[in-house]
Amino acid sequence: MAESDDEYVQDISDDEVEAHQVTRGAGAGSRATGQGSRGAGWEVTRTWENVVEGADGTISSTVEGLLEAGKRKRLLKDTTPLQRGIIRHLLLVLDLSTAMSEKDLRPTRYLLTLRYTKAFITEFFEQNPISQLGIIGMRDGLALTLSPLSGNPNDHISNIHKLHEQEPKGQPSLQNALDMARAALFHAPTHTTREVLILFGSLLSSDPGDIHATISALVSSHITVTIIGLAAQVAICLTLATRTNSSLPPSQTYNVALNEAHYRDLLMRATTPPTTPHSTAHDSGIKSSLLMMGFPSRIVDPSPTLCACHSRPTRGGYLCSRCSSKVCSLPTQCPACGLTLILSTHLARSYHHLFPLRNWREVSWARASRPGQRVCFGCQTLFPERPASVRLQSTSGGQSHDRMSLATSRSQPQPPKAAHTNSANKDGVSESGRYECETCERFFCIDCDVFAHEVVHNCPGCQSREGLLGSVTRNVRGETEVLVEGVAG
Amino acid sequence: MNAVDGSDHYNKTSDGKWHPQPPPSLLTIILDTNPHAWALLSSTLPLSVAIANLLVFINAHLAFNNSNKVAIIASHTQRAEFLYPIPSQGDLVQANGSTHNGAQHGLDGNEAPTADDANHYRPFRHIQTTLLSAISKLYKATTPESLTPTTSIAGALTLALTYINKQSIALSSTTSSKTNADPLVVPSDPNSVQPATLNPRILILSVSGDLAHQYIPIMNTIFACQRLTIPIDICKIAGDSVFLQQASDATHGTYIALTHPRGLLQYFMLGFLPDQSSRKYLVSPTAVGVDFRAACFCHRKVVDVGFVCSICLSIFCSPPEGAECLTCGTHLRLGEYGGKPAVLAKRKKKRKKGTDE
Ligand SMILES: [Zn+2]
Ligand SMILES: [Zn+2]
Ligand SMILES: [Zn+2]
Ligand SMILES: [Zn+2]
Ligand SMILES: [Zn+2]
Ligand SMILES: [Zn+2]
Repeated sequence: MAESDDEYVQDISDDEVEAHQVTRGAGAGSRATGQGSRGAGWEVTRTWENVVEGADGTISSTVEGLLEAGKRKRLLKDTTPLQRGIIRHLLLVLDLSTAMSEKDLRPTRYLLTLRYTKAFITEFFEQNPISQLGIIGMRDGLALTLSPLSGNPNDHISNIHKLHEQEPKGQPSLQNALDMARAALFHAPTHTTREVLILFGSLLSSDPGDIHATISALVSSHITVTIIGLAAQVAICLTLATRTNSSLPPSQTYNVALNEAHYRDLLMRATTPPTTPHSTAHDSGIKSSLLMMGFPSRIVDPSPTLCACHSRPTRGGYLCSRCSSKVCSLPTQCPACGLTLILSTHLARSYHHLFPLRNWREVSWARASRPGQRVCFGCQTLFPERPASVRLQSTSGGQSHDRMSLATSRSQPQPPKAAHTNSANKDGVSESGRYECETCERFFCIDCDVFAHEVVHNCPGCQSREGLLGSVTRNVRGETEVLVEGVAG
Repeated sequence: MNAVDGSDHYNKTSDGKWHPQPPPSLLTIILDTNPHAWALLSSTLPLSVAIANLLVFINAHLAFNNSNKVAIIASHTQRAEFLYPIPSQGDLVQANGSTHNGAQHGLDGNEAPTADDANHYRPFRHIQTTLLSAISKLYKATTPESLTPTTSIAGALTLALTYINKQSIALSSTTSSKTNADPLVVPSDPNSVQPATLNPRILILSVSGDLAHQYIPIMNTIFACQRLTIPIDICKIAGDSVFLQQASDATHGTYIALTHPRGLLQYFMLGFLPDQSSRKYLVSPTAVGVDFRAACFCHRKVVDVGFVCSICLSIFCSPPEGAECLTCGTHLRLGEYGGKPAVLAKRKKKRKKGTDE
């Protein structure tokens, strides 16, 4: 995205360049602020040029291929298991300055931000159930605590809801907001992440002192700052993002939203726990530790009894696994003995980050024509038969495709007739419509491929195959079992 | 079609508005076919009786709405596989790649070699013959070596979810006129909105326990069901499983542990027949207490107090040897444990007063 920004340096319109003695963005503008045709032209992708007639003279096969490529592209990602900071402390900083009343994002930047923030809060706690979130606003040169650090999504949402009654006003101050965030994160335990996410609509920051001193303080407190810009790239934001995330490229930490959907994507990306590479885990200040947690069971009393957390009479509740005090909701800390009480389903939400399902590979016609698997193992849908026209090509080129990387198949010279198959292959689309799990060697359709990797994070084949049940999807687990056996023996 | 026999006035509700046909429900039944467990039950509820009851229940479900669908998956000792629908011989010789609708096999499955029984509604009979032959095939293929006391619920649940997903996609593509693409509500995950058109639910007929070694995949499926709002109903005939209780609780399903297994059909009809839309108006039986214990990663032991690695959230029943996480290999700080009271004091201090840098 950063590459496309450079052409529009000249597009910062005059109304955005307000005269102030402030830390000003000297970087390149990424987006025309006007709604005119000037801003729209460069977003056009010439999709029609990708459509090539198939062998039967229609374009339906190519269109289907393009659709499948779209599904597949989102899917093919690096599945190396990474250490992630799964217990997080995140402060969300909202820009509430006049720049937020711009209407370039519909209905306004302000209203859209509020709406997306609510969705973000819900999704954040879905993905990070034992994390803490706090919200800070920047208005009139001040930093305001909109919602203090807590683990309760409903509190945050109702606090955001109150902002609907107010108007964006004045100028933002990044320095004040960052200082406040640093103070709030000061008490975060060392085994958690310390993150600040800024949604920044302005092109300037009106600060009381030297913001670079604040940035240095953030770096020494191991706080990482990521920024989503709404207007254009601002130099101080880039500095801030780069200096606090020394190990990550700027494209992961500072982005400018192009449109509403892109804004939402950028925001939702922040709900995934950040990676903490092995080498820098120590430097980034995250110290791993062993936490003792209780997995309490729910009870329903025949008559109301007092809960330990609010001293209110309730019938339902959870009994602390250690001291049997009754609490109303989870996750929480036992008010009597201090044990962290959590539902095991809360922890399980993060397991797919730890044991990601490996990408499935494309199946060539040669491999697909082996007998045995004529339906998708996951959904019992019949696979397409090999069309007669493909027979020749697949016997010449298809054999070598088998078990080969995409890069090799791309560089291979192809007969011109196979142009559409070839172009589709680049996008990770299987010519036979089948995708194969390398562990269990079952064939699946594209829908099951997308679903297994994006939603359920299990391979239906590996989970249903004799002998494979114990050793779960990842080789990390294999190592675990070996380790355990070593310990036992 | 209903206009022909005048039955469409049944869709008119008290507020005088016309309502479209209720969305079809897809009932996915996971049948635990562990031979050990069924052998233990043979004096009270033999498998044949249970399957007969199940068929009556399936027929009742299909009779509710003529677009209702059913799928049956066997969760066998070491594998999971579809019992219904399975591709028929007719499908396999067909050479076209058009999308096949699983439940339609009943209508075009004329190749079934059984004698036509004029008194038997054809879709019902088709399910019966398919299910019975699939089960006998499954048992014939079972070797004594593969007998274990467990059952592959995780695989069966994953298959159920992929099947439901495919059916939802197939249904929403036929009724795609309603799904106008609003760029503002683009969800991060396109699958999360689709099942709104189909009313899917999963029913697990469970007879065996001991699922701790499938902890992570089961949890993955529970989480997926939660996101897709697919309730998991549990009909617990025998055995005990903490994880199935959690599954039904997390997905707002019904959990019934049978006290009188002989009355299986009655439990089915009264407890599990209503679909999601009717359950809003009913008081469905729920489990009073729910066991939320987890399984440790090191010994697959069910624990109520565990040690959790702060990096990868793996659960251990005791601090791992060498203070190294068995899953991610991270060296865990030694000072954090070494006796339960010490851990306790440390935790309290961290939360209340902040932490040492
Ligand atoms: Zn309480
Ligand atoms: Zn306690
Ligand atoms: Zn499939
Ligand atoms: Zn597999
Ligand atoms: Zn253990
Ligand atoms: Zn770990």
